[in-house]
Amino acid sequence: MKSYLSITKYTILVCTALLITACSKEPVKQPDSEKSQALVLLRGLPTLDTKHSVAIIELDPESAKFGEILQDYELSNLAEPLHHLYYSPTGRLYATGLDINCSLAEIKLVRDLNGAPLIKGHHCLDTQGQVIGEDIMWHTSNGKEYMFVTFMGGGGLDQADGGSVGVFDPQTNDVVKIISARKSQVDAGKPYIMYPHGISAYKDRMVIASTIHPDLKTGVGSTITIIDLNSLSPIETITVEDAKPVGFPSSPVEVLFVRPSIVENVKPGVLVNTMFGFETWYIPFNEADKTFAEPVKIYNGVDEGTGVPLEFYGTKDELFISHAIPGVVKRYKLSSLPELVSSGPDIKAELGAHHMIFYPSSSGRKLIAVQNNLLNLGNQADNDPTDIDFIAKVNDHSLTIHDLTSSKRLKTINFKEKYNKGIENIEALFGSGFIHHH
Amino acid sequence: MKIKQACYLLLAVTLMIVTAEYYQSKPRPTALNGFSAPFVYGQFTTPQNNPLTNEAVALGRRLFYDPLLSGNNKLACSHCHQQKLAFTDGMKNSMGVSLKPLSFNTPSLVNLMWGPQHFFWDGRVNSLEEQALLPIINVDEMDQNLDELIDELKAVEQYQRLFSKAYGAINKQNIAKALSAFQRTLISANSKYDQFLAGTIKLTDEEEFGRKLFVAHPDVKASLRGGNCIDCHSQFLTSGFNTKYDGFTNNGLDNEEQLLPGLQAVTGKPEHKGLFKVPSLRNIALTAPYMHDGRFNTLAQVMDHYNEGIKLSSTLSPLIVEANNIVNGNKKKPSLNLSMEEKKAIVAFLHTLTDEQFIINTKFSDPFLQEIKIE
Ligand code: HEC
Ligand code: HEC
Repeated sequence: MKSYLSITKYTILVCTALLITACSKEPVKQPDSEKSQALVLLRGLPTLDTKHSVAIIELDPESAKFGEILQDYELSNLAEPLHHLYYSPTGRLYATGLDINCSLAEIKLVRDLNGAPLIKGHHCLDTQGQVIGEDIMWHTSNGKEYMFVTFMGGGGLDQADGGSVGVFDPQTNDVVKIISARKSQVDAGKPYIMYPHGISAYKDRMVIASTIHPDLKTGVGSTITIIDLNSLSPIETITVEDAKPVGFPSSPVEVLFVRPSIVENVKPGVLVNTMFGFETWYIPFNEADKTFAEPVKIYNGVDEGTGVPLEFYGTKDELFISHAIPGVVKRYKLSSLPELVSSGPDIKAELGAHHMIFYPSSSGRKLIAVQNNLLNLGNQADNDPTDIDFIAKVNDHSLTIHDLTSSKRLKTINFKEKYNKGIENIEALFGSGFIHHH
Repeated sequence: MKIKQACYLLLAVTLMIVTAEYYQSKPRPTALNGFSAPFVYGQFTTPQNNPLTNEAVALGRRLFYDPLLSGNNKLACSHCHQQKLAFTDGMKNSMGVSLKPLSFNTPSLVNLMWGPQHFFWDGRVNSLEEQALLPIINVDEMDQNLDELIDELKAVEQYQRLFSKAYGAINKQNIAKALSAFQRTLISANSKYDQFLAGTIKLTDEEEFGRKLFVAHPDVKASLRGGNCIDCHSQFLTSGFNTKYDGFTNNGLDNEEQLLPGLQAVTGKPEHKGLFKVPSLRNIALTAPYMHDGRFNTLAQVMDHYNEGIKLSSTLSPLIVEANNIVNGNKKKPSLNLSMEEKKAIVAFLHTLTDEQFIINTKFSDPFLQEIKIE
């Protein structure tokens, strides 16, 4: 009788379990709005045994999934991570890369049965030997559209004054031309291209910034170079430097060609952030004779208590500039450019404040997420061989999420603590994000 | 003690019966195989209670092609929505069983999970499920009594099997769900334009010129010429926008006196008078005649409309009024002022929206014909 009873109990148990599984196997769940999702490039940290990856992450502070990685697409064959993400005007996703074998890649995104984005693959493009891809922009030259990519390492890291701009067919990804002019190979006083990073353009003039040799010790730049887009060749190199607050050359990093399509009726000119000069400069452009005037310093970090200015990002009415030290994003009225007229309190991020995205929460609150990392090199404290003291200090490995109206911080995600990875770059899913970056 | 044991036993037996029943009757549909959609089409959702499954889609496809769905058993959905014409019928005004011309032109059924999620030209239904039974009961379309239809379907062994695998019972809701599931899979994403977007081909110079005009807002000051089409027909899908009624506008087909109610018939708002759904332009070269009443026979006529045929009315879209390629254009006579060559280029671009695979894809074609072939 005893065993009989236990069989009965057992049957009840099994039936109940089966019923529960039957109920829980309901149809696929509906996706959350993807406006608050972002793509991030993550760096595996050698001492923490993690792999480089491209990930999709939820950033809505109102969502239960806040901070969750929805897909982590590992780049297991890359020794160095991908560096910056960009969408082409036709919606294709590209990334520049730090790995010598993958300086530029196209990433394939599709949608799954739930309508959710899915990273389906990536392939490294032929750059004809150009290495350390930095920024990408799409622009026309002689009526034809091209994809322009700055390669900070140019033809190889062994070149002390390397660097190039790759011109690609935006359909086939084939190299159309490599624009290079090494300082050691051009006559004195002639324009040259060295360690190019930032890139921007207006009509037939393109401007690139000379930043630093990718090994961070061979050399540092102090100039910007103008490229004539009719001939696809450099025509002028302009020094953007005076005081040297840390003893290094100024290291211009990002540039923005302020132009009427960004600011209505503005007189065009170039904004330059100098990474080691801690300054922002303005170079007026005379459209009539296509000449650039003397650079003028319009922001001095030493006076303002900021250092290592990095990115320019714009929304419909504001310009945002990130400063890695002490980790702030300053905001200005777009309509007042080229003057930097404050439009709100500083966004207090973390050391390394760098890339950013703009997006709404599910209740419609306007937000900004700031990626805080200058370069994702390791930290000596972890016995990490890639440690470079100065840079390790400006790496918070985090994303900070702030209310865009008040600048107030709402949330922080520390990738090193949460995922044992660093965060290199952030980009919104296509269709939102920022308006002016280059 | 005895009573307690008996109770346990009773409970066990009941549970066993219930569980067995559950597992037997509850269909176990499987997630649709081989699904993929372009990322740039954007996010989509399917109703929680009608996910895309192999079983639902197979059933829906059969229903879509089955004349049993009409009162005289002669006319299927596919009579008016023919695959070779991207699910249109080539008629100015379609005709159903009553042979009375319908007041609207048959729209293409394509990429229905994106774009406005209000269906029909005037947006009067809010889901495909809600739409699916309407042509069946409409006296001028299929003129079928739904209870009779259910009896007819129940008499077919294959339908008993298909319904039980996909949903369970043969009823109105499940007929509507199946038709909707099938229609959601009608994704066209392999046109020349899609191949261009994926980077696998190049457009000809004329097509590329047309594409640029299609996506550009004319800006006279910046000497940028444009056709302004993506203000309403989105860049990738070429359909209207999906938020609320953003995908409904008045594109200047009629003057105030001739203006039909359009969206106003649904919302009652005077500012919605004469607003119609912005249709997808996918496979547009196959879906003539054009507009809600099929008034234009060719794409050249459509271009002439946007270029020089805009009629003024109180609800005419300001996007149409503002778009002009010449300085000081006459606001009383809105025109794009495009050249012949520019109009031709836009038409050349519209032809790149034809998806040759979509119109022969056997997943979307008549299952009855395939069965005959197999026999
Ligand atoms: C007699 C021709 C005819 C038949 C048969 C027919 N349709 Fe249609 N269909 C039309 C017409 C005409 C419209 C546009 C009507 C309107 O907007 O008022 C339409 C519109 C639609 C739409 C809305 C599309 C959109 O983008 O808004 C869907 C979906 C649809 N039909 C599905 C079906 C299904 C499913 C069946 C079979 C059950 C079917 N149709 C049978 C002619 C037909
Ligand atoms: C202001 C919004 C708007 C703009 C701008 C616009 N369209 Fe349309 N389009 C519509 C609407 C709304 C319809 C459907 C109108 C109707 O039938 O009542 C439509 C219909 C069409 C059709 C017919 C589709 C069919 O299936 O019958 C074509 C083709 C078309 N548009 C092409 C274009 C082109 C090319 C351009 C740019 C030159 C353009 N449209 C610009 C709103 C717009």
